[in-house]
Amino acid sequence: MEIFIQQTINAISLGGTYALLALGLAIVFSIMGMINFAHGELMTITGYTLMYCGLAGFPFLVAAPVAIGVAILAAVIMERVAFRPVRNSSGATMLVTSFAVAVILQTLFQNLISTRSQAVILPDMLAQSIHFGSLSIGINQILSISITLVVLVALNWFLRRTILGMAMRAAAEDFSVTRLMGVRANGVIAGAFAISGALAGVAGVLWVAQRASVDPLMGFIPVLKAFIAAILGGLGSLTGAVAGGFALGFIEIYLAAYLPDHIQPYREALALGMVILLLLLRPNGLVPAFNVGREKV
Amino acid sequence: MLRKLTITACLTAAFALSQVPATVSAQELVIGTATGQTGGLAPYDGPAMQGFQIAVDEINAAGGIGGKYKIKLISKDTRSDAAQTSIAAQELIDAGISVLVTPSDADPSFAAAALATDAKIPAFSPAASSPTLPLMGGDYMFANFPGDNVQATVSAEWAHKQGLKNAYILYSPDTQYTTLPLYFSDVFKKLGGNVAGEGTYTIGQQDFSAEVTKIKSMNPPVDVVMTAAYEPDFPAFIRQLRAAGVTAQVIGSDGIDSPTTFSLGQAAEGLVFSTAGHATPGSALEGFNKKFAAKYGKETDTIFSAIGYDLMKVIEAGVMAAGSTEPQAIRDAVADLENIKGVTSEITYKGTTGMPVRQVTLIRVKEGERELVGQPSPTADLVPAPRMQ
Amino acid sequence: MAILTVEGLHVHYGAVEAVRNVTLSIDDGEIVTLLGANGAGKSSTLNAIVGLVPSHSGQVGFRGESLVGLATEHLVRLGITLTPEGRRVFGSLTVEENLLLGSMPLGKAGDQRKDNLDRMFGLFPILAQRRQQVAGTLSGGQQQMLAIARSLMSSPKLLLLDEPSLGLAPQIVDTIFDQIVALRDSGITILLVEQNVAMSLEVADRGYVMAAGSIVTSGTAKDLSSSHLIEQAYLGHE
Repeated sequence: MEIFIQQTINAISLGGTYALLALGLAIVFSIMGMINFAHGELMTITGYTLMYCGLAGFPFLVAAPVAIGVAILAAVIMERVAFRPVRNSSGATMLVTSFAVAVILQTLFQNLISTRSQAVILPDMLAQSIHFGSLSIGINQILSISITLVVLVALNWFLRRTILGMAMRAAAEDFSVTRLMGVRANGVIAGAFAISGALAGVAGVLWVAQRASVDPLMGFIPVLKAFIAAILGGLGSLTGAVAGGFALGFIEIYLAAYLPDHIQPYREALALGMVILLLLLRPNGLVPAFNVGREKV
Repeated sequence: MLRKLTITACLTAAFALSQVPATVSAQELVIGTATGQTGGLAPYDGPAMQGFQIAVDEINAAGGIGGKYKIKLISKDTRSDAAQTSIAAQELIDAGISVLVTPSDADPSFAAAALATDAKIPAFSPAASSPTLPLMGGDYMFANFPGDNVQATVSAEWAHKQGLKNAYILYSPDTQYTTLPLYFSDVFKKLGGNVAGEGTYTIGQQDFSAEVTKIKSMNPPVDVVMTAAYEPDFPAFIRQLRAAGVTAQVIGSDGIDSPTTFSLGQAAEGLVFSTAGHATPGSALEGFNKKFAAKYGKETDTIFSAIGYDLMKVIEAGVMAAGSTEPQAIRDAVADLENIKGVTSEITYKGTTGMPVRQVTLIRVKEGERELVGQPSPTADLVPAPRMQ
Repeated sequence: MAILTVEGLHVHYGAVEAVRNVTLSIDDGEIVTLLGANGAGKSSTLNAIVGLVPSHSGQVGFRGESLVGLATEHLVRLGITLTPEGRRVFGSLTVEENLLLGSMPLGKAGDQRKDNLDRMFGLFPILAQRRQQVAGTLSGGQQQMLAIARSLMSSPKLLLLDEPSLGLAPQIVDTIFDQIVALRDSGITILLVEQNVAMSLEVADRGYVMAAGSIVTSGTAKDLSSSHLIEQAYLGHE
C-alpha cells in the first residue's frame, strides 16, 4: 500500500510537469492551430539561463524567476520573428516553421554554448526528501506538485476572471469573431505565446531541478511527451491538456512500477499502445476542444 | 536496357576515376571521419576528434607516418543520425579514403561498418564499447575502447571484493551500450552475488521515481546499483535515488566520465565508475592533457579526447606495420598489432576479433574530484561472451 | 448623409469571383437590406466590408473615411460591428462573458460597460435570466439575441446583420425583427443581409438585390416589394 501511495505521488509529480508542457502547446494551438515544436527549446533556454545565473552566483530563488522571465521573452520573440509571418499559412507550413525554429535553436546552443551537457548548480536541498513514516517524498516532488497546482489555479483565474483571459478563450473558439469584437489579433497571439513561454519556463525549472544539467537537445523529449499528452487530452482543449498530461504521467509511472521485469523493455510501446487505445475509444481526446474542426485564425 | 546499364557503368567508372587521383596521392594517407559533431553524440565525438586532430598534427609536423605518409583528413558531420552516418561514410568511401572513422556509439557505427566491409576499408569507432560492434560489423570494423563486457567484469569483481551482495541493475534496451549492466548481472551472479531486480528505462527519461521507489522497496535492501545510463539520464537518476534516501553503492560506466558527474554535489559522492584511463602524475595521459590545453586553450574535461588521440596512434602503427596506405594491408596490420602505447593504455588487437585489449580504470567521485580506485585486469574466465541481439 | 459607401467592390476566392463590382450606400438612420439567394455574394460583401476577407479591388468608406486595408479589429472602434451569420456566439463562455467581450473596444470605461450590460439585459430580458449560463446551451433564438446584444455592447453607429433569422422559429423571427426596428429607432443604422425577403422589406427603408455576385436591382422597400425583379433574381433570370 505504501508503495502504491509512493508511486501515485510519483505519478502526480510527473503528470503535473507533462500537464504544464501540454498546456503550453495547447494554448498556442487553440488560437493559432499550430503545434509549436520549438516549445521544448523554450525549456532549454530556461535551463541555460539557470546555468548562467548559477555561474554568476545568483541564488536559485532568484535564478528561477529570471529564467522563467527569459522563457516568456523568448516565446514572444519567437512569435514575432518566426510565426507572425506565416500566421495565415497552412497548418503544414506552420508546423515545418516550428520544426525549423527548434533545429535552429538547437544548433545555436551547440555552436554558441557547448555540445556537451552543462552542469546546473542547484541547492542540495532539492536532492533531499521528507519522510512521513516509511513514505518519502522528495523536496523536488513537493515543489513540483505544489508549483503545478499554483500555476494551474493562477492560469484558470486569468482565463476566467480577466478580460484578456476571456478574449483568449474566445479566440480559441472563434478567432474571426473575436477580432470582430475589436480584440487585437496580435495582442491575443502574443499573449498566448507569453503564457506558453511562462509554462515552458516553469516546466523547464522543474525539469532542470531534477536532472541538474542542460544540453542543447534537452527540449526534444519533453515536447514529444507534451504533444502526446495534448493529443490524448484533446488537441486545443486546455482542460484536456491537463487531463492528458496527468493521464500520461500515471500510465508511465504505473507501468514502470507494476510491469514484471521481463516485460519492462516493452514499456514505452505499451504506454503508447494505451494512448492509442484511449484515442480509439475517444477519438477527440479525453476532454475534446469546444470547436473541434473549426478553422483557426 | 543492357546498353543503358553499360553506359551508366562506364560513366560511373569514368567519374570515379576522374575523382580518385585528384584527391589521393601515393604519399598521402586519406582518413575519412564520419562522426557526430552535432546532436546527441557530439559530447563524445567532439572531444574524440579534437584529440585525433592533435595526433594528426603531431605526425604531419614530424613529416608524416614513418616520415613518409602525410595524413589528410576529410571530416563529415553525421548529426548523430544513423542514416546520415551511412550517407557520410559512402561519400567518404567514394572519395577514396584508406581509413574510416565512425561515430563513438555502436549503433550508428553498424550503418557505416557494412559499407566499409563492402569496400574493404578498415573502420574504427573512437569510443564505442559494445563488444558486438566488431563481431557484427565484420572483419573491417575495429573498436578502440575497453569492451562493455570487460568493464562490467571489472566493476562486478570490485563490487564483490567490497562485500556487496544484493544488486539492482538499471539498463536501457535502446542501445547496445546501455545494456552493459546485463553483463554486470551475469558476472555478479557468477561471483555468488544476488541480483534483486533488473529495471529498464528509456534514453532521455527524466523521471526515475517509479524505478527509485522499486529499488527502495527491495527486501533485503539493495546494497549496489549498477547502470550504464549517461547524461542526461544518469544525473536525474542518481539525484532521485539519493533524494529517496537510498544509500546503496552506485556503479556507472564510461558514459558518465564527464564534468557534470563531478558537479552533482552530495548526490554523486562515493559513486564509482569504469573508464578508459586516469591521469596519474607523470603519466602519458597527463602529458596529453597538457598538449590538449596548449592547443585548445582549455583543459580537456573528458577521457574521450585522449581516446581520439590513441585512435590515431593505432592507425599510425597499422600503417607503419603495413608499410603502405592500401586499406586491406592496413586492416591486416591493425588486426595483428600488439602493445601499442596509447596515452590511456597499451592497446592490443592481436588475438581479438577487433575489440582491443585495454586497461580498465575505476574512478571514485570524492568531494567532487576524481579518485583512482584502481586499474585492475579482469579475470579472463569471468568475462561474458558478447551478447548478440 | 451616407454613413457607409461601397464602390466597385470585388472579392475573389482563388479563381472564383464571389463579389463583382458591388456599389451601394447607406444613409444615417436607415435600415437597408441586402437580398439574394444562397451564394449570391451577400455574406462575402459583408465580410469584405469588415476586412475578414480581403477585397480584390474597390472602395469602402465609413463616414468619409476609407476602410480598405484596415484590420478587422479596428473597425469596431470606429463604430461598425458585424453580427455574423450563424450567430457564432462563444459557446464555452457564459452569456455575460460573451457580452463583456463585445465591449472590449470600450477599453477601461467601466461605467459605460456596465450601462451597456444593463441596457442589453433590458432589451433582451431572457439574457438576464441566463446571465451565468454557458452560451452553447442556449436555444437558437437566444443565441441570436446574444449575438446581436454582443454586437451592441460596443455602442456601434452601424450594425451589419448577417442572416439573423436563419434557422429560427417564426415567432422568434418576429421578435428579432421587432428588435431590429427598435434598434434603428434608437439611432443605429442597419445593413441587413437576409434570405427572408418579405420580413426584410417590411422593416427596411431601401434594398439591394444580389445575384451571382452582382447587384441586379435596388430601390425603396416599397418598390422592391411590388416588382418582380426579386423573384427574377432568386430564380436566376436576368
